[in-house]
Amino acid sequence: MSLRDPVSGFFWLALAVFVCLISVPIGIGSFRTPGPGFLPFWAGIALGILSIAVVTMGMLRRNEAGGISQLWKGLAWRKAMAVMVSLFLYTVLMDRVGYLIVTSALLSFLFCLTRRERIWMKVGGALMTAVVSYLVFGVWLEVQLPKGMLGF
Amino acid sequence: MDALSNLLYGFSVGLQPVNIFFCFLGVLMGTLVGVLPGIGPVGAMSILLPVTFRMSPVSAVIMLAGIYYGSQYGGSTTSILVNIPGESASIVTCLDGYQMAKQGRAGPALGIAAFGSFIAGTCGIVGLVIFAQPLSEFGLKFGPPEFLSVVVLGLCLVTYLSSGSKIKALMTAIFGLILSCIGIDQINASPRMTFNVMQLWDGIDIVSVAMGLFGISEIIMNVEEATDTTDVLKTKIGSFFPTRSDWKKSFWPIVRGTIGGFFLGVLPGSGPTISSFGSYAVEKRLSKTPEQFGKGAVEGVAGPESANNAAAAGNFIPLLTLGIPPNAMMALLFGALLIHGMRPGPLLVKEHPDIFWGVISSMYMGNVMLLILNLPLIPIWVKVLKVPYRILFPLILLFCLIGAYSVRNDGFGVLVMLIFGIVGYLFKKFDYPGAPLLLGFILGPLFEVNLRQSLLLSKGSFLFFFSRPISAVGVSLAIILFAASILPEIFKSKKA
Repeated sequence: MSLRDPVSGFFWLALAVFVCLISVPIGIGSFRTPGPGFLPFWAGIALGILSIAVVTMGMLRRNEAGGISQLWKGLAWRKAMAVMVSLFLYTVLMDRVGYLIVTSALLSFLFCLTRRERIWMKVGGALMTAVVSYLVFGVWLEVQLPKGMLGF
Repeated sequence: MDALSNLLYGFSVGLQPVNIFFCFLGVLMGTLVGVLPGIGPVGAMSILLPVTFRMSPVSAVIMLAGIYYGSQYGGSTTSILVNIPGESASIVTCLDGYQMAKQGRAGPALGIAAFGSFIAGTCGIVGLVIFAQPLSEFGLKFGPPEFLSVVVLGLCLVTYLSSGSKIKALMTAIFGLILSCIGIDQINASPRMTFNVMQLWDGIDIVSVAMGLFGISEIIMNVEEATDTTDVLKTKIGSFFPTRSDWKKSFWPIVRGTIGGFFLGVLPGSGPTISSFGSYAVEKRLSKTPEQFGKGAVEGVAGPESANNAAAAGNFIPLLTLGIPPNAMMALLFGALLIHGMRPGPLLVKEHPDIFWGVISSMYMGNVMLLILNLPLIPIWVKVLKVPYRILFPLILLFCLIGAYSVRNDGFGVLVMLIFGIVGYLFKKFDYPGAPLLLGFILGPLFEVNLRQSLLLSKGSFLFFFSRPISAVGVSLAIILFAASILPEIFKSKKA
């Protein structure tokens, strides 16, 4: 039996319960005078009912093969995870370190992750891309890019 | 005559040099996006949306609209030459377009796709001019129950027309409605679901949601699949002009694709993808030689390519006249108009005629530019296709990061984008569609305000919606669509 739908269904059910619980203190009101929590509460109820349907239907499909792990079988999921982790680190560091440095570091990492050229070419390409993007967006288009401790 | 004078006014706006430039930029980027697999028009529009903040509203919408209908042209190039659709509306073009290319007829395939797209796009714009103003005047009669019924109908249609599980589509639409509640309540002005995070008082930004859901998730999927170069068919493209026989076979498919695509495009929930699939099915059904479909039938290229461009024009009608975006791409345009201080809806024509008629006139110009751009520039697009993905994806990521940061000039927008990137990635893994979420998120405020106002007016009675003709029709259709979406799936599971 495939566990994909039951697992995702339980996640949605938990989310629906959470949304209903946080809507109550906001004030659901009544059908005559709906309050700020009216829509999230009833949307949560609807989501909960549908998630139960997904769980039930998933469990009824006994002949369907394919567990959760099959979703990542044969795929370079570690590479994808490394990209996401690097992006989160970028977000944390960007305001402290500054756009040019952190972008150069990120691009160097991404190019090293996937490109086959020599390391000096990858790092050089990353630096050049970061500088050109700074000139285009930060200087020409005047987009406010994060300035770190060094002012750029 | 009224429409003609309005159109002339629109041309006076659209033909301003700055707007011609942004129209050209939009269609060029749209074609590029359509050519490149791995990033679709929604991802491109969401990435470029922050760039439009510094433009005038007219120029911003002209450019974003250009990306949208430009991508319909570009998608056919990769479908025909590489057998990989550049975007979803060009999937069916792969079936016969690639076969034509393998038979040494890539040029006529590309040509009929471009000419069919031009004819359909132009006719679609004429339809937009004819129907837009009467519909916006009709929309002025709408009160809260009518708007609510149209929004509900739109969400039900998106659910009904989505591929895969309809229940999952409805769940993501409801999740979008819930997400739209984060921030300050529109009626009471009290914060809700902000979890003591200051940045959430303004709600979640549409740009971050869209870029994460469609842009970042797509990149992560592609990195995971480790696809790199695409194998471009090594064939001589030759002359782009279809033969007389090709034109004879393509004439009625283009006509049917144009009419069917345009009216399908008007429906909320529909769009170029559904129109192109519908056209292919119709042409195969009506053809005297249906066995030729899938083996290089020119009708299999002409019809769908016309339908998707006509639908792209039709999509603008519910957005500009009623303020109801019919799909994710129009939802982004809706967001762009809101960001620029405009409210799409029945009053847009009266309050901002420069936007309304300027965009329509720019679509005429954009179609001409696309016809000129697409065919001669195909060798360049072929070279672009050969750029390895391992070089492209860091650049696309960089654009996303800059775009998300520039929304509020802090890292919070980037964080939200990455979170929705993970959400979009998991959606793809577990077969949940992302477009209903975006539509629910965009329509959430409209849905909530009209729901609460309607319930206040009716003193809590839902029968109120059936006492007014327009809302009665809308709600009834929504109920039928809801039942038609959900019940077959439930019964099918019971049988299994």
